[in-house]
Amino acid sequence: MTLLAPTAFLLGALAAVAVVALHLLTTRRPPPVLLPTARFVPVSEARAVARASKPTDPVLLAVRVLAVLLIGLAFAQPVLDAPGPSVRTVVALEVSRAVADPVAAETAARAALGDGGALVVYGREATTWTTDSLPIAADAAHGSLSAALVAARQAGAAIARGADSVRLVVVSALAEGSLDAATAVLRAEWPGRVELVRMAAVVDSTRAPELQLRTTLADDPLAPAVAALPAARGAHEVRIVRAVPAAADSVWAQGGDRVLVLWPVLADVEVAAAGVVTLGREPIPLVAPLARGDVPPTGAVVARWNDGAPAVTEDRLTEGCVRHVGVGIPLAGDITLRAPFVRFLGAMVEPCGGARTAILSDSTLGWLTAAGPLASARALAAEAPAESNRLAVWLLAAAVLLLLVELAVRSRLRTAASPAPGAGEASAAGASGSGRVAGSGA
Amino acid sequence: MAVGPYGALLDAVRGVRWPARRPVPGGAPGAHQARSRGVAPEFAEYRPYRQGDDPRRIDWKLLGRSDRAFIRLAPDHAVLGTTFIVDASASMAFPSVDEGKWAVAKRLTVALAAIAHAGADPVGLVVASGGDTRRLEARTRRGVLSEVARTLDEMVPQGSAPLAPLIAGAAARCVVITDCLGDVDDVRAALARHRARGGESHLLHVVARGELEPPRTAILARDPEDPACERPLVEGTRESYLERFAAFRAEVAQQMRADGIHHHEVVDDESPEVLVRSIVRVPQPEARR
Repeated sequence: MTLLAPTAFLLGALAAVAVVALHLLTTRRPPPVLLPTARFVPVSEARAVARASKPTDPVLLAVRVLAVLLIGLAFAQPVLDAPGPSVRTVVALEVSRAVADPVAAETAARAALGDGGALVVYGREATTWTTDSLPIAADAAHGSLSAALVAARQAGAAIARGADSVRLVVVSALAEGSLDAATAVLRAEWPGRVELVRMAAVVDSTRAPELQLRTTLADDPLAPAVAALPAARGAHEVRIVRAVPAAADSVWAQGGDRVLVLWPVLADVEVAAAGVVTLGREPIPLVAPLARGDVPPTGAVVARWNDGAPAVTEDRLTEGCVRHVGVGIPLAGDITLRAPFVRFLGAMVEPCGGARTAILSDSTLGWLTAAGPLASARALAAEAPAESNRLAVWLLAAAVLLLLVELAVRSRLRTAASPAPGAGEASAAGASGSGRVAGSGA
Repeated sequence: MAVGPYGALLDAVRGVRWPARRPVPGGAPGAHQARSRGVAPEFAEYRPYRQGDDPRRIDWKLLGRSDRAFIRLAPDHAVLGTTFIVDASASMAFPSVDEGKWAVAKRLTVALAAIAHAGADPVGLVVASGGDTRRLEARTRRGVLSEVARTLDEMVPQGSAPLAPLIAGAAARCVVITDCLGDVDDVRAALARHRARGGESHLLHVVARGELEPPRTAILARDPEDPACERPLVEGTRESYLERFAAFRAEVAQQMRADGIHHHEVVDDESPEVLVRSIVRVPQPEARR
């Protein structure tokens, strides 16, 4: 059992000692002594505090001490330690299309996991995986290491109780897009070293895209842009549909590594004064009088408007994907021939999940795998999010119950100590100095 | 003379005199200077002869020289009757282990009575307790001191009895021995009246060391003459008790002296011989008068 706030238990123990000390102090009726000049003694209550050699009212004392200790223990936030070895492992496993052999990656992750560890599976997003079977749904071109580090930190805090150290192992292909601006900061916040198990990566080759443009416009402004599109990475096929999509289009998209781009004309939609579209992690501002079309909100967002609304989304099919483009381009003008639009169009015809770019060299990852001690479990446990502590609640309930018992015991003692009606002065008790008031010890 | 346990004290005060603080009324010849003039051989003053004087007291030589008749006068001495009024209330039996206040009261009474008796003064005694009041009329016979000692030894301090009514019948020198915890105001008034009648008033205020320095342990102080008076004497009330008791004693002494009463405070653990000598010593200013 670990106490998250041991100071509270220490304070409870001190309070218990104080209770015992108070039980050693009793208010007694002092022994009567003849003193002719008693009239000069100020009038006051005929009781005085005296020290006893043994604590008074042992039952009451036991109840009070137990209640105080339980309250202190409850406020100390006790948690039961998770079973497992002293060194536990958090494995961050990348599941993306950048990993060449997902099975080998899973095997490596399970080998590194060990007892009491936590497995973080990450692609675009990261989650702590608790079941045996892994969802190897490589929907992203590459995983986000930043998301993996955040999830690993949460998972480490969850398994840190009862351990001495926490080890972080990243099983990843580490493609170029795995890192972002926050990665270095998140890595620095992990309080220990990071071990890297590098898996083989898939890198798209560079070639001219096989593009099909199906449009109903005789003079579609997109046609010259598609014709002038430079070479891109990927071995996929792309079909851009500017008309109402047919069932054959969906069937086609499911037939392999194919991208179906649904890009309606949007001629009847009101044009915004100056639409701005930003693409993913490489901002490509596209500033033009663009019309806003609707896109399915269920897919992964590829591009957004300047107000954050999705502009382009992507839905995964069995093998290929459908990319919905809600950006209406003007039918007149040369915007489609300008460099920002060409880059935007290049992103629209990338493989599903994005282009798989080059992998990172080990020499550039020195900051990620710098040598050092393992992360301190205490440091991680202190960052555990506050959650309802059932054990503390039960302890508090027991303390409240004991306080009620204390009330009952005190009432009974007081009743037993009160003189019978009509009884005179207890001279014998007074003479022996034993006229103590029950329950007055604290 | 059977004086029991007082023998050593009486030996110690033998030869001590207890002169009157002022001239006493004329009476039987005694050791104290009297207000009247006598016919002793020592000369004091002349007085013109008046009809009725004894012609034998005329100074014939002076008559021959001045042709006027004068009578020679000489200083007179008289006895001073002394009555001891002793408080035998329950409070005088404190502390209970040795009854220190009562013991010192008895010793002082016997010693002062012996001194007075040695000066041929009549000595009387009144002992007042809650259960009994014993009286010995002032006498000069030989056995009076034994009677005083025996009477005191037979008394047991108990209850409470007023002392003021007993002062009215006292001899010219009235000595009240009490702890002033009874009718002290009435006693003061009675002693003041006694002095106004030409008598000599003494008050011996008996205090026990246990009253001056009560125990530091917490006790429930109970008045032996008033069982209903029970008050806790603890650390918190001790200082206040000491202040109040000291103020009471100072007030009693101041009021007694203001009324011309000779006040002496005696503590039970002090030497009775020293106390007796301090009581009978005549203060210098009064001695010059």
